[in-house]
Amino acid sequence: MLEFILCIITVLSAILALIQKDLLKAAILTGFSGGALAVLFQILLAPDVALTQAIVGAAIVPVFIALAVKKTQREGS
Amino acid sequence: MAQTQLAILLTSVALIVIGLYSAIFIDNIIKKIIGISFIEEGANLFIVAIGYKAGGVVPILMPGMDTSWFATNAAYPLPFGLVLTSIVIGASTLAVMLALVMVLYRRYGTLSTKVMLSDTAKQEEYNE
Amino acid sequence: MNELIPLMVIVPLMAALLISAFSRFNTATKVFAFVVAICLPIIPIASNYGLHYFGGYAPMLDNVTSVMYHPAITYSFTFLQQIFIAMIGLLTFLVVFVYLTKYRKVSGPYLFLLFLGTAAVTAMLLTDDIFHMFVFFEILALAQVGIVAASSIDYSYEMALKYMVLGSIGSPIMLLGIGFLLALTGSVNVTDIAAAVHNGLVDATSPVFLMSLGLIFFGWLYASGLPPFHTIKSGIYSKAEPHGAALLQSFTVISMISIVLIMFRIYATLPIFEVLIVFFSILAMILGVSLALTQTDFRRMIGFLAVGELGFIGLGIGLGTNFSITAGLFQALNEIIITALLFIGFGAIVEATNEVDTRKLGGLLAYHPKVSIMLLIAGLAMAGVPPLSGFQSKLMLVQASLSCGFPEISILAIMVSIATFVVFVKTFYTMFLKPKPNDLDLEGKEVPRAMIFTMAILLIIVVLFGVYPDLVTSGISNFVGGIL
Repeated sequence: MLEFILCIITVLSAILALIQKDLLKAAILTGFSGGALAVLFQILLAPDVALTQAIVGAAIVPVFIALAVKKTQREGS
Repeated sequence: MAQTQLAILLTSVALIVIGLYSAIFIDNIIKKIIGISFIEEGANLFIVAIGYKAGGVVPILMPGMDTSWFATNAAYPLPFGLVLTSIVIGASTLAVMLALVMVLYRRYGTLSTKVMLSDTAKQEEYNE
Repeated sequence: MNELIPLMVIVPLMAALLISAFSRFNTATKVFAFVVAICLPIIPIASNYGLHYFGGYAPMLDNVTSVMYHPAITYSFTFLQQIFIAMIGLLTFLVVFVYLTKYRKVSGPYLFLLFLGTAAVTAMLLTDDIFHMFVFFEILALAQVGIVAASSIDYSYEMALKYMVLGSIGSPIMLLGIGFLLALTGSVNVTDIAAAVHNGLVDATSPVFLMSLGLIFFGWLYASGLPPFHTIKSGIYSKAEPHGAALLQSFTVISMISIVLIMFRIYATLPIFEVLIVFFSILAMILGVSLALTQTDFRRMIGFLAVGELGFIGLGIGLGTNFSITAGLFQALNEIIITALLFIGFGAIVEATNEVDTRKLGGLLAYHPKVSIMLLIAGLAMAGVPPLSGFQSKLMLVQASLSCGFPEISILAIMVSIATFVVFVKTFYTMFLKPKPNDLDLEGKEVPRAMIFTMAILLIIVVLFGVYPDLVTSGISNFVGGIL
């Protein structure tokens, strides 16, 4: 059951990230998607990949995007 | 248990389609880049799903495990190793793209792809 | 000495890392880069042919099914790899030499990118593992973007970002294709996959197999800049510094042939594979030459001509016989040298005149006779005039397509060659022979000596391959016999 919820969270937060007006919110939602994906990898019996994805997908990528947004502009159409 | 795999495959297809849509149709360059990272995540999820075995165990041989039981029940670890590399590559590509965007923002003052990228050809013609 | 095989990748990779870490020490960096660059062509020539298994995991025989498995990442080193790696090493040496003599203060990150690209293409040529190839394909894309972005030409960042966005759409798609192959065969080793396909373990007509072909083919089109990517590819050549462009086009050619050889070994049983390659190659030939005819920026013109020449390589490989693949690979070798020569030669003209528009140039023959004569010979070699190397490979291609029963293709190839000749002679006339425009100031501007030296060395190779094509064709033919 958990995996279905995680699948839905992943796809939903991906879609929400792309329809946000505020790019900072989009960055945070990208992190949600990456984090849900990390748990999904754990369910798929790949703990090492889950660990990497949790660090890269849920922390590093959103931080990179947020930094880029901070250096440029926050609102995107 | 086949349902799990089906759900995973559908998720990866959905991520790839969302990513492709945003990479082609969305004007904002940062959203385009976010979409590209979704394509990468979808491809990674698909490859991990190849190695998954329903009702299997994590492919790490613990002391005390029976080797032949482990061989028949463990998931296939090769795709997991590949995905590890692929995740890191995706993150570094994203970082380079964002750095280029930051440089270009300083010149154009906007994140719109139409202004930033497509006008290049027009400007060149104008210069000639 | 088989131990040298992994060193071909490790030496440029380590050199790249060291140079970028210690780029504060200018003189030491220069000397170190020069020494490493000299080593690059020497290592493949000194090494013996053979296989290298990383980690020492030799292939295992499954006693039940009597199938060989390759657990390790395998590097296979044969004559084909030797000649191509030696050539790319020589080209890297010349490019680094031109770069080191041009600037007093060298940039560590730029040298890092040059060596990184060389290491990546070397690994792509050597490897027998499709995922290993994908990893270096990504590294190569990053290095190419860096080389373009580091140039001081206007709008180079925009072009780099565009290439990067396209590339990061193309490479996950290729990864997905590799994933399909992995799902079908359970292996990423090309020898294992090819054995599984040929033994009938994989249904060659299944939609998953065809899908994997389509996805990897898309990645190949992006890597080699065939249509629909020809515009962006010629764009990045024109936005890089001339010596960088010379190296970039060789990266393109080598990644093209290394991916297509792997695809050929896996998909050769599918008839649609060869049709696809021939179709896109012919499209590239026609589009490349016809777009080159309309350009006024001569760097852009060479970029499109280089794309057109890529079509000849694809044509040779798509026809699928031993002779035609040999011709295609020989054409690839010639194209690397000739296009590098053209890029460096026209770069020397930019250096001397600060002008890239052919309409504003003229009468350069009297001012730069050496450069113009060498450029003329290179252009004739590209168009396929005897006794230069381009003639030999194009003659082989025409013969191959005739013997395959496609006289239409050989007529088309000859027509494209003639069109290349026309494009080149037109540009040469406007730049070198036409009377000098009054507002063009040419006095007291010299072409760097290092560029003339580089061009002379490349020209010697062009003439050598033109007079003695057997030096390489017999070895390549043996290699092709091994994979067919």
